[in-house]
Amino acid sequence: MNASLFGSARAASSNLNGLAELLREAVVEVRSGDVGSGTGIIWGGAGLIVTNAHCVRRGSSVEVDANGKWREARALAYHPKHDLALIAAPSVSGPMLELRDPESLRAGELVFAHGHPLGVRDALAMGVIHTVARDRSKSPRWVVADVRLAPGNSGGPLVDAEGRLVGINSMVVNGLGVAIPSTLVHQFVERALSQRAA
Amino acid sequence: MAINARRRIPSSGIIWRDGVVVSASHTVRSEGEISITLPGGEPANATIAGRDSATDLIVLRIKGNASAKAAPRADASSLRVGTLVLAVGRPGKNVSASFGIVSAVGEGWRTWQGARIDRVLRLDLAVYDGFSGGPLVDAAGSVLAINNSALARGTPLALPAQAVDRVVDELLERGHVRRPFIGVAVQPVALSAALAKKHQLSGDGGLLIVSIADNSPAEKGGILLGDLLLEAGGQRLSRPDDLLDALSATRPGEGVSLKILRGGVLKTISITPTDRGEQE
Repeated sequence: MNASLFGSARAASSNLNGLAELLREAVVEVRSGDVGSGTGIIWGGAGLIVTNAHCVRRGSSVEVDANGKWREARALAYHPKHDLALIAAPSVSGPMLELRDPESLRAGELVFAHGHPLGVRDALAMGVIHTVARDRSKSPRWVVADVRLAPGNSGGPLVDAEGRLVGINSMVVNGLGVAIPSTLVHQFVERALSQRAA
Repeated sequence: MAINARRRIPSSGIIWRDGVVVSASHTVRSEGEISITLPGGEPANATIAGRDSATDLIVLRIKGNASAKAAPRADASSLRVGTLVLAVGRPGKNVSASFGIVSAVGEGWRTWQGARIDRVLRLDLAVYDGFSGGPLVDAAGSVLAINNSALARGTPLALPAQAVDRVVDELLERGHVRRPFIGVAVQPVALSAALAKKHQLSGDGGLLIVSIADNSPAEKGGILLGDLLLEAGGQRLSRPDDLLDALSATRPGEGVSLKILRGGVLKTISITPTDRGEQE
């Protein structure tokens, strides 16, 4: 029995090594003005990056670091209420994470946060879904997870065990990590892009 | 296993090789003979074979012929972000454990006391009192690293077995880890382009000597305050770490040649570092 238990734990462990590598490809470090540094998620193939609004200082220049090289970026849109910002760094590319509908999340599900907490590059943290908080219209507003976050994790992905994006880590409340659901992030990007096109 | 060498709570250690125990140096306050509790719960005594404050490791030899077999090792391929791990401690009678993952792998990390560690593991798990010095094991129960919550002042770290082995070898052999020392404090400074061009120097910086320790090899060798260190042993110096790396590469008793700029003139001085590890 022990052998099979070890076997499955080992398989799970090597899946997580793969998950960590996928996430490292899909995120960048974001630096702007005097607000410290945060994490950004590559969104689609056109050099778009989503991060927290509080990681991008209005009126300041924005830089992103992918694979150890800092490049100029430009803020395209903000949504302060949802703490989201969309930035463009045309030369940056990477895989886009699949999205996970927060409606299907259940308390206790294993999740992972990726980011650069306290300047430590590409750190992974593990936790479980605590709850999905909803707004008045009952749609998901915050994903709350029992996962250890620190300054620098802001704007980084919260993913499920298959590497699908659950939300964007945004703050710590009472020791719990709070993320903006992937559905709101998707809406924000779609709206921002259609307004620019119009 | 547990080590009873400080007040309040015992600390954790691990049987690293048959009859040899490794733990975190800061948790072992006593010197001389130390009482330990073996994995089976039976008491034994051990003596200190050596300690290295820079990596915060201590090596103990178990006295008598108590049976103390080393735990199996994990292979280095497990040193990756995302690996599921258990931190195991024995702060007292019973074994306790904490479950988590390897959060990040730091390359070329230097402890605040100057030891260089090729790779250090940052952990996403809770480390409880008395866990420093205990093993970090992988899903198969093989030892990956030694936990330490003091090296980075509170954030949980682990030193990979390969790094521990190197320190253990040195401690068993000579009781301390060699740390070449010349006795200078330096500050990185930029070099003007004109100066660099005049002396045909590569790079654009050097290390300014801001203090020299009394009776140190640097003082005896004639280094002066205000000298600008450019090279050590043929290595260009632009950060203080570069000097530590160049010194670590020297062999015991061997001199290192330092290229310095003094009053606009290039000079070469040879200095034989002493071993600071021995004095600790």
